[in-house]
Amino acid sequence: MKVVEFIDVSKKYPNGTVALKGINLKINKGDFAFIVGSSGSGKSTLLKLLMKEETATEGEVMVNGYQLSTLEPKQIPYLRREMGVVFQDFRLLPNKTVYENVAFAMEITECLPKEIRRQVPMSLALVGLSRKANAYPHQLSGGEQQRVAIARSLVNNPALLIADEPTGNLDPENSWEIIRFLTEVNQRGTTVIIATHEKTIVDAMKKRVIAIDKGRITRDQQKGLYGDEDTEYKIYS
Amino acid sequence: MTLASISIISAALVLFGVFYLILVNLNYNLNILSQQPKMQVYCLSELTDEQVNAVKTEIDSNKYIDSITVVSKKDAFEQLKKYLDNDKTAEGGANILEGYDDSFLNVSFIIKVKNPEDSGVVATELRSLAGVENVVYSQQTIDMITQVANWVRIISMVLIGVLLFISLLIISNTIKLTVFARRKEINIMKYIGATDWFIRWPFIYEGIFIGIIGAVMAFLMVAYLYSFIEPKLSNNLVSFGSGFSIVKFQSVWGTLALFYAGVSIVIGASGSVMSIRKHLKV
Repeated sequence: MKVVEFIDVSKKYPNGTVALKGINLKINKGDFAFIVGSSGSGKSTLLKLLMKEETATEGEVMVNGYQLSTLEPKQIPYLRREMGVVFQDFRLLPNKTVYENVAFAMEITECLPKEIRRQVPMSLALVGLSRKANAYPHQLSGGEQQRVAIARSLVNNPALLIADEPTGNLDPENSWEIIRFLTEVNQRGTTVIIATHEKTIVDAMKKRVIAIDKGRITRDQQKGLYGDEDTEYKIYS
Repeated sequence: MTLASISIISAALVLFGVFYLILVNLNYNLNILSQQPKMQVYCLSELTDEQVNAVKTEIDSNKYIDSITVVSKKDAFEQLKKYLDNDKTAEGGANILEGYDDSFLNVSFIIKVKNPEDSGVVATELRSLAGVENVVYSQQTIDMITQVANWVRIISMVLIGVLLFISLLIISNTIKLTVFARRKEINIMKYIGATDWFIRWPFIYEGIFIGIIGAVMAFLMVAYLYSFIEPKLSNNLVSFGSGFSIVKFQSVWGTLALFYAGVSIVIGASGSVMSIRKHLKV
């Protein structure tokens, strides 16, 4: 079952920049995929299209049954509830505790308080932060903050988890821990897409690698490596 | 900034309140006037019955006049007694007339003119009749007050419109500051799937809160001002005569409060909606 599908997708920004050209991509339920590429390659645009922060100028993006080209603005919040998003800069609310940050993601979906009280501790336990539930983000290390962000992204049981440079602000030790949690999440059945620069992590994981350069997919490889300029890219599809 | 918003909306509403109360009073007095007879002709009090009848015949022959009713001295005395009893109990009511009889009053004729525009001509003609002391008619006053009321209405509408527009901009700017301070939070909410309305409500509440505080202040000021002016003005009006009077605050505060509540809520809410729109586009 496809969770994400790009069909001949191109994106041209109003200022004339062509960020993506003729992208075709399928990501199935339960996949774990790295999206790699240098800055300006079109990686971020691809993620923005998934979240409907931007709309494709050509082609169609499908996310968990939503047809994004015709999705009305009113429907966007409901699309975003189908996915959990983790950012490089964590994006936690500074004036809320760890518990409240995670609960907040449920409150906005108008969940019953009873359900929130049950689900939030489970989510925090999953990332090993039950004991820090009452701490504020600034009292936590970067790695811990990112774990809170993962707990928040998972609390609504999304079909898809998107992580945009999730280890970008972390030291190697914490980075590995985050990757370990994301792998665990994937093993529980959630589709995980990670956009990253971290060669070591991609190479060590030997998962699917989708390489983007100058707006095109240059390589799509199962059990791939990060690759570099010297490597001959072979197209996998 | 919040203080500025509260003061400006308060100022706009005070001004509205003042104009509204002026209009209410003008309309109230117009009503009193238009209920009075069109024209009343007072005979000299020393006239005999025959002389009065002669005057009546003269008036009857006037081609502008539709109908004529006689108010005898006795009728006039009864009316005066009733008026004193109802409206002047504080000054002793009807008892003040003790020791008097109807002889000091005049016989008068209440006249309905066929065409109100002819009132002026008719009044001059009747005044020249022998035995007529005075002719009183209210159309002139009615016209004048109507005109004043119209001007007050136009000026107040323009002024209030401008002030409310300024209040809207200032409230919107105030909320913009709060929105700006919380733009990261709004951005995060958008990413984790909050609907626009879920994000908007807290800001709308804030706008409404500012509006209502402003309205309450304005209401208190207007109420104080009116309670201060009303007794003075009503004394002056009594000496001015011809039935003018001032509306009691108790009979208008309900409408005023309702209007204040409505305007402050609408202005506060729409100011917020205006200022948050930009930040919802993620």
